[in-house]
Amino acid sequence: MAKKSVWSDNRFWQRSAGWVTGFASMLLIWLTFDTIPQIMLGSDEDLQQGVTKRVPGPTVINYKITYEMDTKRGHEIPVIGGANAEGRSSFQEKETFFGRDDWSEEEAAGLLHLGKLGSQTKNCMNCHTLLGNGAYYAPDLTKAWLDPAWGPNGPMQAMTGKNTKEEAMAEFLQFPSQYPTHARMMPNLGITPEEAKGLVAFLKHMSSIDTNGFPRNFGKIEGAVHGK
Amino acid sequence: MVNSHLKYESKQLATWYFTFAAIIFGAQLLFGLVAATQYVMPGFLFEIVDFSVARMIHINALIVWMVFAMIGSVYWLLPDETGIETVGIGLGKVLFWAFAASIVVVVLVYLIVQVGPADETSLWLIHEGREYIEAPRWADIAIVVVVLGFIYNLYATGMKGNRSGIVTVLMADMLAFAGIYLAGMGYTDNISVDQFWWWWVIHLWVEATWEVFVGSLAAYGLITMIGAHRKVVEMWLWIEVAMLFGSGILGMGHHYFWIGTPEYWWEIGALFSALEPLPLVAMFIHVLYDWGKMQGEESAKGLETSVIANKPAFTWFVLNAIGNFLGAGVWGFFHTFPQVNLYTHGTQFTSAHGHLAFFGAYATLLIGMFYLAVQGKNGIKIMNATKKSIWATSMIFGGVLGMTAALTLSGYVQVLVSRAQWGATWEGYFAGQASIWFTQGMDWRLIMGVVTFLGFFVLIADLLSIGKATHHKR
Amino acid sequence: MIGEILMTQDIGVDEFLPLFIASTLVLVFGGFYVGIYTAVKVKLLKNWAMPFSYLFWILTAYCLYLMGSYMHVNDFTAKALVVAALGILILPHAVYYMQDRVHEENEH
Repeated sequence: MAKKSVWSDNRFWQRSAGWVTGFASMLLIWLTFDTIPQIMLGSDEDLQQGVTKRVPGPTVINYKITYEMDTKRGHEIPVIGGANAEGRSSFQEKETFFGRDDWSEEEAAGLLHLGKLGSQTKNCMNCHTLLGNGAYYAPDLTKAWLDPAWGPNGPMQAMTGKNTKEEAMAEFLQFPSQYPTHARMMPNLGITPEEAKGLVAFLKHMSSIDTNGFPRNFGKIEGAVHGK
Repeated sequence: MVNSHLKYESKQLATWYFTFAAIIFGAQLLFGLVAATQYVMPGFLFEIVDFSVARMIHINALIVWMVFAMIGSVYWLLPDETGIETVGIGLGKVLFWAFAASIVVVVLVYLIVQVGPADETSLWLIHEGREYIEAPRWADIAIVVVVLGFIYNLYATGMKGNRSGIVTVLMADMLAFAGIYLAGMGYTDNISVDQFWWWWVIHLWVEATWEVFVGSLAAYGLITMIGAHRKVVEMWLWIEVAMLFGSGILGMGHHYFWIGTPEYWWEIGALFSALEPLPLVAMFIHVLYDWGKMQGEESAKGLETSVIANKPAFTWFVLNAIGNFLGAGVWGFFHTFPQVNLYTHGTQFTSAHGHLAFFGAYATLLIGMFYLAVQGKNGIKIMNATKKSIWATSMIFGGVLGMTAALTLSGYVQVLVSRAQWGATWEGYFAGQASIWFTQGMDWRLIMGVVTFLGFFVLIADLLSIGKATHHKR
Repeated sequence: MIGEILMTQDIGVDEFLPLFIASTLVLVFGGFYVGIYTAVKVKLLKNWAMPFSYLFWILTAYCLYLMGSYMHVNDFTAKALVVAALGILILPHAVYYMQDRVHEENEH
């Protein structure tokens, strides 16, 4: 009979499994405690005092947002209110959103709430990807707000006949099948004008989230490393 | 159930769960075909059953049939493991009907109501619009109640009867499985926080607790089908638990690369998800080892016969070891590093991985359990394959492999065109979708989906008829 | 490690295909390595197959190297990949050793 060794002892492995699982779980919980505060919604005060948050407060809709390469971090980051000398958010430059750039914290939070709820009840995620997660039947919405197609010279804005990005997006969301861009169309989901406004606010807010450079080279078709 | 050979009510209840699971499996495939058709013909059922609706049912049915088959599997193996009738079998039956009825209502609402206004009521009554766990909140609560009842039965039986290693693992695993679901029930306006907790459910299910469940079931299968030694199998099960949870729990990091969470998740995700294939390789060796050893012992006794007591089920168990390694291992590994995932995340690569991993890791094993149940119900000692079992296995496995290959091809085009070259914009997205390679990939996916669906009918026909075949040893 | 730039440079368009192939082959060859090793040990294959299992390990390590270079990994990740290659080398030995021990103890 072979000598009884610890390697073939069931209890040893049972305990090891317990310890490994416990250790991994504790580590995950500890990391969660570290991560959650970092991804909580910022506030209007943060924006006004120039505090960069990974997930800015809802009033970020009052600001101009761009997506720029950060050489220190090696990837693109959202730049809010124009760039400072280091290429980071300066929170200076405002941008009107449905004609106003003074949405109060309460109003902006209301729009974001409506938009986020709408994104769920309209089932956006089962065609589109949000932050890269969801279905792959329609374009990624992570930085949709910054998409050149919706910009002043973009085909989407021109198609809807609206003068601003937010109005064009809201119009499209309400009557998607009137503005077919491809054989694959977005269906009519009964989105009301108010819900559309909320959804656009939600998209603008999402584009301001620091996603560690995802998606890479967004909107830089001309300047992209492999740009066409 | 006059002719049934089942001595335990627990096993009869298991057959109910398996039957309902098989029906939902069919629904999953059907709505998958609808969605796949829409990629090829975008006008198909437009504004009737849109892609979002078809896909929601496709992936929800997937989760639901697997959960049903998993609960069924536990009810099936409990009497064998504990040596007693399951405690609370009456409760189990009531919960079965409650669960099945809830699911039917949920699916009908998905199909008929589809979307609601942007308010909390829609979340409570229609759906929550969060991939995989779309179930409306009333159903969330119903699911928690049902699962708690199931866990009570499992614990009561495990504590009253002989609590084997397999039962111990299942008790711990099922509790975690149910507890984690709670993380996905809340609502928040902050999409980063939302997805953070959402992944707790999805990831800790499919890459941790479900995998451990599969390990336990495979252990049970090896003991019952080839007479593997319990001591070896159970020791091995504990090692698998250590490896799966050790890599899987923190492998969570690979979902936290891009959702707004800090950069340190890159290192954590890369490191632990690189380790995730190891237990899958190990599970594969384990099956090979036990099979080789047991067959070797049989040959040593001068017996030429195979040691396998249920050929079709064992085939599916072996396909599980292979499919888990391929789908979760290989297809997961090649896009798990953040440097690569930056370009592949949210493309058809993910879809290819999802198809082969869910199928390889879970569907195969649960289909194997269906065959074990048929064997038990018909009182067969050694169950052999029929022509239909071979056809069903080849068509389903071949079909899913084909879909995966096609989706991988499409995903590759998407990575190159939509991501690397066009930077993931609206225009870039459609440039990728219009590529001839992409559209051909979608055509092939649909064709292979049809093959899989036909294979499903052969499988059902086989499950219904194999028990009456005469070439088994009774 | 933390805070260091992870994405040192973009992956070239012509690098994606070899990258995907290399990372797929890591596990395919790795699977062959452990598969053949175990099969020889449990006598499903003859002893002459054993050198092939180690050959597959060498291929695995090479593919890991290729994968790392196409991904332009930083130093930390490169070291982690070396550890991974050694881990794969040891894995089936450890597994077989333990299984055999417990088998022996229970059989005889």
